[in-house]
Amino acid sequence: MSEAGPVSSARDARRAEALGAALPPLLVAARRVAATVAQGVHGRRRVGQGDSFWQFRPFLPGDAVARIDWRQSAKSDRTFVRETEWEAAQTVCLWADSSASMRWRSRLAPVEKGERAALLLLALAALLLRGGERVRLMAPHSPLGTQSLSGRDALEKLAQGFMQSLMQARAEPAFAESLPSSSLPLPRYASVVLFGDFLDPLSAVQTSLARLAAVPVNAYVMQVLDPAELALPFHGRVRFMDLEEEGDALIPRVEGVREAYAERFTRHQDGLAALCRALGFRFSTHMTDQPPEQALLALYLALAPGPEASGEASGSVALFRPFGGGTLGAARG
Amino acid sequence: MTFTTPWLLLALLALPLLWWLLRVTPPTPRREHFPAVRLLRELGPVEQTTARTPWWLLALRLLAAALVIVGLAGPVERAGGLPLGQGPVLLVIDNGWSASGDWSARMLAANAALDRIAREGRRAALLATAQDPSGAPLVIGAPMPPSRLRARLAVLQPEPWPTDRAVAASLLRHWHGRGVVYIADRIGSPDPAADKAFAAALARLGPVTEITEPNPAAQVLLPPLTEPGPSGGRLIARVGVLPVPVRQTATILAEAPGGRILARFNVSIPPGATQGEAAVPLPLELANRLDALRLSDSQGGSPSAAGVFLLDERFRRRPVGLASGDAADAELPFVGDLYYLSRALGPYADIRQGDLSRLLADRLAVIVLADRVLPAGPEADAVRAWVAHGGLLIRFAGPLVAAHPDALLPVQLLAGERTLGGALTWGRPEHLAPFPRTSPFAGLAVPSDITVTRQVLAEPSVDLDTHSWARLDDGTPLVTSSRLGAGRIVLFHVTANAAWSNLPLSGLFVTMLRRLVELSAGVAESPGQAVLMPASVLDGLGASETPGPAARGLAADRFTVTMPSPLHPPGLYGPENGRLALNLGPALPPLILAPPIRGARVEALDGMVRERPFGPPLIALAFALFAADLLIALGLRGLLARPAMRAAASILLLGVIAVPASSRADIAADDPALVTRLAYVVTGNQAVDQLSRAGLQGLSDFVNSRTAATLGPPKAVVPGRDDLSFYPLLYWPVTPNAPAMSPAAVTALNRFMGNGGIILIDTEGSDDGASGSGAGFAPGSGAALQRLTRGLAIPPLTPLTYENVLAHTFYLLRDFPGRFDGAPVWLASDPSNRNDNVSPVIIGSDDWAAAWAVDPDGHYPYTAIPGGDHQRLLAYRFGVNLVMYALTGNYKGDQVHLPAILERLGQ
Repeated sequence: MSEAGPVSSARDARRAEALGAALPPLLVAARRVAATVAQGVHGRRRVGQGDSFWQFRPFLPGDAVARIDWRQSAKSDRTFVRETEWEAAQTVCLWADSSASMRWRSRLAPVEKGERAALLLLALAALLLRGGERVRLMAPHSPLGTQSLSGRDALEKLAQGFMQSLMQARAEPAFAESLPSSSLPLPRYASVVLFGDFLDPLSAVQTSLARLAAVPVNAYVMQVLDPAELALPFHGRVRFMDLEEEGDALIPRVEGVREAYAERFTRHQDGLAALCRALGFRFSTHMTDQPPEQALLALYLALAPGPEASGEASGSVALFRPFGGGTLGAARG
Repeated sequence: MTFTTPWLLLALLALPLLWWLLRVTPPTPRREHFPAVRLLRELGPVEQTTARTPWWLLALRLLAAALVIVGLAGPVERAGGLPLGQGPVLLVIDNGWSASGDWSARMLAANAALDRIAREGRRAALLATAQDPSGAPLVIGAPMPPSRLRARLAVLQPEPWPTDRAVAASLLRHWHGRGVVYIADRIGSPDPAADKAFAAALARLGPVTEITEPNPAAQVLLPPLTEPGPSGGRLIARVGVLPVPVRQTATILAEAPGGRILARFNVSIPPGATQGEAAVPLPLELANRLDALRLSDSQGGSPSAAGVFLLDERFRRRPVGLASGDAADAELPFVGDLYYLSRALGPYADIRQGDLSRLLADRLAVIVLADRVLPAGPEADAVRAWVAHGGLLIRFAGPLVAAHPDALLPVQLLAGERTLGGALTWGRPEHLAPFPRTSPFAGLAVPSDITVTRQVLAEPSVDLDTHSWARLDDGTPLVTSSRLGAGRIVLFHVTANAAWSNLPLSGLFVTMLRRLVELSAGVAESPGQAVLMPASVLDGLGASETPGPAARGLAADRFTVTMPSPLHPPGLYGPENGRLALNLGPALPPLILAPPIRGARVEALDGMVRERPFGPPLIALAFALFAADLLIALGLRGLLARPAMRAAASILLLGVIAVPASSRADIAADDPALVTRLAYVVTGNQAVDQLSRAGLQGLSDFVNSRTAATLGPPKAVVPGRDDLSFYPLLYWPVTPNAPAMSPAAVTALNRFMGNGGIILIDTEGSDDGASGSGAGFAPGSGAALQRLTRGLAIPPLTPLTYENVLAHTFYLLRDFPGRFDGAPVWLASDPSNRNDNVSPVIIGSDDWAAAWAVDPDGHYPYTAIPGGDHQRLLAYRFGVNLVMYALTGNYKGDQVHLPAILERLGQ
């Protein structure tokens, strides 16, 4: 298999086209998944730019006369000014692994890892956009560049840009990223969500994530794995072929190494978790044989922590706060 | 079971090595893509016990290898060895009559022997010990490989004559080779000395394998006997056999002409006897109609030529009626007339006795009247009529006849009898003179002790000599005969008893009567020197066939002494009404066993079976196993999951199924509904039809290149036969001598026009004096046009003008020339609205087809008259307009009214 070979660009272009053809369904799926999770614009619980009423305060000298709320003022002798809650849109940067190892699925999984990662990315983006947040795609070769998107048609644009970057990565392996590069400038204190299999050596993962942490950003690492990568469900003498120039592995008897592999895999996962913890990133694993809604809910909860959870985040950035559990968005005017 | 190359089996010893190698070599790994391969690589030294090839796959491969080894070693089933000596092997086969019973077994045995000879790599020569029907002398064939000898063997047949062992023995003496396979019938040939010489010559030729039936059982039909009996005698079938110490049974079929089996009966042969007999259980009338007796081999073997006995006229028994004038003591032993007659005729004839009127009522061949006078009256008339219809009347003289000679006598008798050597006479009893050559008794020896003491005398006449069949020494006739109608009257001038002569006491009397009775069936000729040509001969299996080229005629008197041979095959000889049969059975000596061959190894005939090499099936099975192994290996490596590989595997498993190519293309090419095309009416005149085709082809090409219409090649149609509904335009050239249309054609054309078709009728020139440049080119075409269109529903016509739609449908035309110009073109003056205002018929004489025609070189074969490219162009344009008119109807009808419309718009 030479999916990564540059010589087969024509075939890859065809595949990319096929991938692009999957875009509308993917968008629909993303929207459907996103719809299952609650949404809303998150007030900052302080006075500022926004639509939602926050408080009345007495008119102070220097206030613009136009800000006087005459209706309220008419109720008493004093003159009140109406203040709204500061509603700040947060920029969330999204990144997905575009390397060849994501374009793989075992017999145990219904979809490829990359497909699931794309679904999750777009679903999260849909969710965020609906919540009024700004979304930026972390893809150095995407036509979107460092543009942050918001608004009604942002999801389509984002999806197009994302797919184009995937196609590029497929056509030109040099553009494929198995770990986020820091070549793109990131807004400080931005939220970053990373989708990937993170099967690279821990040192490489650490280098990459540490660069992110140095920005600094608040990152969420979502590891998308195929169940076969965990279970190694093969028998007998198998030559395992690499997908990313890592070299083949000839296992004389797979049954014999299954435990050792499981142990090695657990160590890798533990190492990843420890790494993320040390950098203050959140880390979770999603298996492609599980429904994507679970992962999306976990992401959403992580990105919108409650008051008790906000302290746990690395501190400098307060993440969005919903008004309250089940009635999110009900207070919008 | 043996092997042709047994040393190859040593390779089986290498199987354990193969087992070890297969065990050590791990199976080809499956190939799996895996993203976490880095983690696997980092596992470091892993367990080294590699996955083994499954034991059953190993066993499969070893089995396949073993099958290949065994198959290559050439296993041969049912192989047997023969001591074959040195040099080419001589295959001697007895193919005389006695080999036919188990001929297929002999052929099988010969082929089996050839199997063994071929396996030894030896060559073989063939000697068949009986001559073939061509009569060619026996030869030993050239030594050749057994595969080529099999073809010679296949044409070998059992022959309907004995083996010629004397010639065979002399051939064997000149054969230089050791090793003989002799497929023997073990029946002694007619020449015992030759048998001995043959056996000795064989024994001299080294190891001899004699393949034979251990208990030979040959059966021969001997000539049947006729046995006198109370009801006139029976036919006794006799069977000759080899003497064996057990009771044998033969089954005989009695066949009538046409192969109908009239009876089937068994003959039982006592132990040790050489022959058995049984009466044919048929009434005499039926027995007389028998054609042949045939041994039915109940053992299922083939019959032989010796098992068929053809019955000729000599074995037909004829009903003979006896009547005597002296009814009282006619039957008295030693005294009565009939006593002698019945005893003389009994063995050979079916005898009826009784009143003459009753005898006449029966169907009889011969009536013998002993001293019975036939006075003139109804009885004499009845007898006369019977004789005239072909009956044979034999009369004996006697006192009554002598006293009252009647009319039904061959000669005029002198009244009274003549006494010779009596007490009162001088003469002595007379002896018989030798029979004259013209007499049916010719050739019979005349015993000297026969004397005649009394006789009736014939009145001397000039033709008395020709009537006399037997005479006494003094020249007086003893037996006279004369024809009467189709029959004959024979008179013995003596009595049938011993009163007048002692002739009835002699054997000659029996023979003479028998000859006379034979005479009654039309065997007028006595056995003589006449050469009878073979009419139908028997082959080696006892079936009748036409005589071969070698078969010669045989003199009639040689039948009883001739041994059947290629020159004289057994069968029926002679003309239709006088068939004589040459049978094999009577010619054969009593059956004996041939002398054994010294030092021969004897193999049973049914013990020789064909060898069967089964190496190739084993190798085929091994390859099937290898194919299965390939599939399994592919499956183990996970390659079968790919659709392409799965498809290939299915093909490997199922074989290629050829799907016959669809013939849709052929249908499409011929389906007139799929392409629009012009059509022309076949006139039967080849030149005219060719012109029509060429013209329409040229017009179609022009239309295809100039307009959006796409026309296929033009089609020849016959109205009434072809369906016209596919064609928009029909070109119909009308020649002056065109035959009249059939009613079906008229109906078809009318329906065509009624359904919207357009017929362009072109007289291709017109009468003298007509308008236009074509005048005079087709004298009589006007009459022909009238004649041909008589039944057609042609509407009132009007000349085509610029105002018509036809002048506007594609080009705007004012002239409508073809090859000729100037003649009016006619079309319906007021087309019915039903047809889109389209005229169903257009009639002209400008020979458009000639103007449109283009030859294969692209030239125009017909000059336009008066001429010019412009005229031809206009002709094409008219054609285009015509096609458009046919295809679009009044679509361009507005063009006609354009001036009026414009005028109206202007207002």
